[in-house]
Amino acid sequence: MTNAITVKNLTKKYDDFTAVNNISFDVEEGELFAFLGENGAGKSTTINILCTILDKTAGYVKVFGHELSKDDDKIRNLIGIVFQNSVLDKKLTVGENLMTRGAYYGLDKRQIKERLEPYMDDFEIGEIWNRKYEKLSGGQRRRVDIVRALINDPKILFLDEPTTGLDPKSRKIVWDHIRKLKEEKQLTIFLTTHYMEETADADEVKILEHGNIIASGTPAELKTRYASSKLVWYTGRSDSAEDIIKGYDHSYDADHYNIKFTGSITDFLYRNSKVLTDYEVIKGTMDDVFLNLTGREMGA
Amino acid sequence: MKMYIGLTKRNLLVYLKDKQSIVFSLLTSMIVFALYLLFLKSTFADAIENALNGFPFIKEKIGAADIDMLTSILLLSGIVGSAMITVPYNCLQTVVNDRENNVDRDILATPIRRWQIVLSYFSASGLSAILMNGMILTVGLVMIGINGDLHMGASDIASVYAVMILGCLSSTALFMMIIPFFKTSSACGAFFGILSAVSGFVIGAYIPISQFSDRVQTVCNIFPASHVTILLRNALLNGTLENIDKNIGGIDEGAFVSSIRDIFTFRANMFGRTLEVSGMCMYTLCVFAISLIAMMVLYSKRYKK
Repeated sequence: MTNAITVKNLTKKYDDFTAVNNISFDVEEGELFAFLGENGAGKSTTINILCTILDKTAGYVKVFGHELSKDDDKIRNLIGIVFQNSVLDKKLTVGENLMTRGAYYGLDKRQIKERLEPYMDDFEIGEIWNRKYEKLSGGQRRRVDIVRALINDPKILFLDEPTTGLDPKSRKIVWDHIRKLKEEKQLTIFLTTHYMEETADADEVKILEHGNIIASGTPAELKTRYASSKLVWYTGRSDSAEDIIKGYDHSYDADHYNIKFTGSITDFLYRNSKVLTDYEVIKGTMDDVFLNLTGREMGA
Repeated sequence: MKMYIGLTKRNLLVYLKDKQSIVFSLLTSMIVFALYLLFLKSTFADAIENALNGFPFIKEKIGAADIDMLTSILLLSGIVGSAMITVPYNCLQTVVNDRENNVDRDILATPIRRWQIVLSYFSASGLSAILMNGMILTVGLVMIGINGDLHMGASDIASVYAVMILGCLSSTALFMMIIPFFKTSSACGAFFGILSAVSGFVIGAYIPISQFSDRVQTVCNIFPASHVTILLRNALLNGTLENIDKNIGGIDEGAFVSSIRDIFTFRANMFGRTLEVSGMCMYTLCVFAISLIAMMVLYSKRYKK
């Protein structure tokens, strides 16, 4: 695997405020890379720097071998961005929006239509082609935004909180499209989000706080390291049961014990297989990871 | 080049597709027209009648048709003059809206060069102003021409359109310098309200600038739009005034036409000095050139973040 993005000691300062503080990371080609953090953590600032929109204060960035600040035009041809808020023109139709955006990359009408062809059915763009962007639903707008980001046939797609403000159904549809794009086009996807569950499919997750990367790894690694798994044991409250779970952080609710595990749960299950007749294992969530790392829940 | 054309087309479409924006950008022109129907026509006609009272021996040589033609063309210059200010400003609100809604980030992340982005905003605004003013001017000239003799040759018509284009471009360049200072579309809209109210006075659409004190005349004539409106008035009315002078037959030695030129401001007065046509052209071109240079400097800083 080669690196799609290499970032070394990236810093962005606004006077006395440091938005991004000396961060380093690599994004491999074809992976789904996620930046997780609250508003103001530095996610959008980092994306805006990588997309050549903002100047960096310090650091070194390479996107597909092209150095930021030196080969910006080449980088711009390789990237597509879905911004947090829609950036298409509300008074223009979907068709007018996409045709004008295609021209930003020097494409003529025929080339733009060729580029859009695969998405007309998949993203149901054909049926809303002549509708004004302002008349579209939230989900339809997001689909058009994604197609707009793909118009230059990018090698990397930046998604800056792409599902913020969408209802659960629209969010699912958008994610189905993103997964399909990753699989079929082997696109590298750089995602920022504050929805924990959206990082579940990521190949690599970095958690940002106040411009610093405070943890990284695959979702499974992060859960193992920073979230405790929970065993729910359905049994009556008894001294013998209390003896078995002695030494573990536990509580009793109605008809079951909740037992927290920081390490492997397998040994415990093996040792007590005869008495554990009715139970379920709940793996730690990314919410738990964030909670344990920052001491607070997301959005709190 | 394709990128620049694409962005210019988008900027044009954003303005032209917003019907409300078009109506508001022509509001001052519509007010000028409404006031003309209500009382401006009689005010202008009275001013001409008063001028004629100073020359009783030529009164019978000036027909009602001549006075009608003069007032109609004065109206047309007022309408076009105010639209040359309000249309480009309104179109340039796209710059502020794009910034407020982060649309500029979408543009900045494409391979379009920064100077092309600036130029495309300028081009779209200039083009929309030329388009709208060209339409108003053409319709106005046709309507006035149907009702009387315009006394304009091909070269006069060409100079009218050339002055209109110069006016649209110089106004656009000037506003390109002002517009980056607005952070929100509401602030930009509030300024537009002031601009709409003031522009009619600045270009002398309601009251000829010559009726103001020297100081006020100087303030009005700082704006290139005033010069352009005076140039437009010259180009539109020279033939009519020459025809009136011809009908008078030289018995007043051109005094009546000269007084009309003074009353309705055919020359610009700045800092106690009078600028003729060539001076006004030079002034407008200078402001245009300075605005263009300032525009490139201002925007190069704006896109460094």
